Amino acid sequence: MERYARGDEAAFGELYDALAPRLLGFLRKATRDACAAEDLMQLTLLHMHRARGSFISGAPVLPWAFAIARRLMTDHARRRRVEQRLFSEAAADDDRMAYEPTAAADDVLHARRLEVRLRQRIEALPELQRTAYRLLQQEGLSLKSAAEVLGTSVTAVKLRAHRAYVALRAVLREAGEPS
Amino acid sequence: MSAELRARVLAAATAEPSPTRAAVRRRNMLIGMVAAASGIGAFVIFAVLMSESHLLRLGGEVVPQQRLERPVWLVVATVGGALGVAATAVWLALGRGRSMLGRSPRWLLYGGVLIPVSLLVWKVSCSLAFGDAMVAWPERPGERCLSLSLLVAVGPLLSFLAIRRHAPVQPALNGAVIGFAAGACAWVAADLWCPVAYVPHLLLGHILPLFVLAGAGALLGRTLLSLRHR
Repeated sequence: MERYARGDEAAFGELYDALAPRLLGFLRKATRDACAAEDLMQLTLLHMHRARGSFISGAPVLPWAFAIARRLMTDHARRRRVEQRLFSEAAADDDRMAYEPTAAADDVLHARRLEVRLRQRIEALPELQRTAYRLLQQEGLSLKSAAEVLGTSVTAVKLRAHRAYVALRAVLREAGEPS
Repeated sequence: MSAELRARVLAAATAEPSPTRAAVRRRNMLIGMVAAASGIGAFVIFAVLMSESHLLRLGGEVVPQQRLERPVWLVVATVGGALGVAATAVWLALGRGRSMLGRSPRWLLYGGVLIPVSLLVWKVSCSLAFGDAMVAWPERPGERCLSLSLLVAVGPLLSFLAIRRHAPVQPALNGAVIGFAAGACAWVAADLWCPVAYVPHLLLGHILPLFVLAGAGALLGRTLLSLRHR
């Protein structure tokens, strides 16, 4: 990023290779829509491209990229909600949530059910808790970086992540799994 | 991840040239000069409109037959202190520390509280050394200082927002602190012009515009500094 901020155009390709997989993973999990995730990833990198001149030497790039992605994702979700309201679209059934009745083995079925319940529980978490959990557990960000992305303190991130863990542990307990 | 997607993103970036760090630095310096010129220009226009023959007003008639003189060193002390606070406020509002996401909300909130408090405390404590400066001035409740502050601060507020450009995190809070910083700059002009240190006058004419500008900054920040999915 430092090279790109100084005007080395070729550095953008390297930046893409370093950031795009992580951003795309984050956005896919959050939106559960591959096309939207790709669009948002492209927008995130373009925002970084436009802001390259204001890049601070030595500043961490990943929290910045995640913060932009998160902001764009929130905006995208809001627009989609408005569009859905406008066109009175019925909520689409999520076929990814459906069980596969052909799965033969009980343990596979149990694992699938548990996965679905955990995913549903994660989706049902308040947005701030869900994002804190994803940034820490799925993206592997440090508490400090996650706090920067969320625009809050480390303590608040710890609290949000803790609440998310408590909720997920409850799902595991209900399913008879060791939490 | 597809090579097609990579090619698409790189092509989109190539198609939209973006300024390098050196270009941004030049642009920010230009905007800073425009901010200073607009502030000084607004101050001069205001003084002309108020039929003042001199910009640095050292005194005036409190009520007919009672004239208050403001010693030069009191002006230097209050304006100097206000300049220091304004410079700190601009540093807080426009600087982002060592993170691309700007200062933490805690720092911004401290700034929002400390900027108006320190300006008021400095003005009052300097003026306390001169009992006369604290007397009630019925003819000047503060509405002219309010207009002066708002007029002088408009240019810096817009310029500071243009310099900051975007805040992915807490855009409204960042905008509010930018408003406080613009207000602190305007306080310097108001301090040069106004000899009154009567606290109700200061609250209406000098402190209120800071909060008006912070509110405007928060609204503008939410609109202009936040990222939009276009």
